[in-house]
Amino acid sequence: MSLAVPPRPRTWPKTALVAAALITFTVLTCLPAIGGVELDFASIARNWRNGANKMLQLLQPDFTFLPRTLMPMLETLQMALVGAAFAAAVSVPLTLWAARPTNPNGATRRVVRAIINVIRSVPDLVYATILVALVGVGALPGLLTLFLFDLGVIVKLVSEAIDSERHPYLEAGRAAGGTQSQLNRALAIPQTRPLFWNQWLYALELNVRISAVLGIVGAGGIGRLLNERFGFYAYDDVGLIILEILVVVILIEVCSNVLRRRLT
Amino acid sequence: MTALPKAPSRAGTTTWTIAVGAVILAAVAFLDVDWGALLNLPRSSWEYGTLMFASPDWEKLPRALFETWRSISMAWLGAILCVALSIPLGMLAAHGVGPAWLRPILRGIFAMIRAVPEVIIALILLTVTGLTPFTGALALGIAGVGTQGKWTYETIESLSDNAAEAVEAAGGGRIAVLRWALWPAALPSLMSFALYRFELGIRMSAVLGLVGAGGIGSMLSNYTNYREWATVGMLLIVVIAATMLVDAVSGAIRRRIMEGARVRGMVRSR
Repeated sequence: MSLAVPPRPRTWPKTALVAAALITFTVLTCLPAIGGVELDFASIARNWRNGANKMLQLLQPDFTFLPRTLMPMLETLQMALVGAAFAAAVSVPLTLWAARPTNPNGATRRVVRAIINVIRSVPDLVYATILVALVGVGALPGLLTLFLFDLGVIVKLVSEAIDSERHPYLEAGRAAGGTQSQLNRALAIPQTRPLFWNQWLYALELNVRISAVLGIVGAGGIGRLLNERFGFYAYDDVGLIILEILVVVILIEVCSNVLRRRLT
Repeated sequence: MTALPKAPSRAGTTTWTIAVGAVILAAVAFLDVDWGALLNLPRSSWEYGTLMFASPDWEKLPRALFETWRSISMAWLGAILCVALSIPLGMLAAHGVGPAWLRPILRGIFAMIRAVPEVIIALILLTVTGLTPFTGALALGIAGVGTQGKWTYETIESLSDNAAEAVEAAGGGRIAVLRWALWPAALPSLMSFALYRFELGIRMSAVLGLVGAGGIGSMLSNYTNYREWATVGMLLIVVIAATMLVDAVSGAIRRRIMEGARVRGMVRSR
């Protein structure tokens, strides 16, 4: 007696279709005539030495420049912290309004989600550019940019996490006769606190990284110094600033990992 | 009669709350910010908002769409380059795949790339390939390797060892384990990350436009500098619409990759 072997499923037509779609899209992105990117590999072979020289200069940081970087770095850290803190305060009600279990009212939920989606789809540097025009150069436009950016990230990620979980405690509260706002205050906020902490710490990390860029459009912090030194071709100073950002980012990552483990 | 248990001490939490609060308050207090300007913000944003959106300048729309496609192209090619680099490197950096001496080196390289802002990478590349969108694509590709490589080795390491053990028991070597156990299991996550890289690339290409790599970012920063607010308003509408469209399409594909096809007439269970 022999077992009938089931026929091999035919998967190749689907695979071929997906591959064809990917190749078509890729070819379309390489056509300069319609706005694609012209692939110019010859220039790499021709000019790679320029880039290598610059890298070498960056790899020799000038430590005598260190004292001048301290104040801007402190400003960057302050901006990152304050932006994340403001966003944290505002994100709690917005998140609860944007998630289905904590806001059964479809209309208001959709409004909040739409606002958050619009906030998220504007790139951070565009905020910075426009806010510099609105409130002038300095730390304020940077702060507002970080606030808006963090708000988008936190509300989106936490509300989606709340949506995808089961919430028996809310059902229990509803059965006991609580109103939705009572349920949110007494049950949802304590239950979702670890989710919030995760994203707040993540936002803080992102902020330090972004503020390196914000300075280019005049939004304060270490980025302004970075841009200035780049303009003067002072690559040894730029190397030092990058090194410093690296150290600060790693420190914040280590601290937030420790905190995360304690909090969750 | 039962004695009530003593309430647990909250001293630790209180101390932490006070400490964190004090640090934040200090940061607010010492930040060199003209808080008065904040009061003008509603008025000035209303003012500029009407300048931008009351009558957006639709005349430059064809140019804007051309530049948007250029940004999307930059992001797509950057994502392809990034994935092509990060999958082999990330696999070599995973525990049990690459040689032990190579792992810390690769992980160090990933961490270094993560720390360097993509603008700096773009500025270095400018000296090699000039002010072209190609530079933008390269910069996005290289800047993404740091994160993407980390995600790759974390994904490989989080796979369960059963399939790998089965291949080994059947006499497979390291290459066979990679091909028949790790690769098929990791593929959906890796593809999903690749699409996410594309979404991120679209946001970042605005940053690269600022240093001259072209695309919608260049156009936006130019017209902001010229203070042609009607055009800026039109560009903002295009940027927001394009980003949301790409996010929606790529998000739908990602969900399809991770959760499989939706069976008609069946409620998807989480």
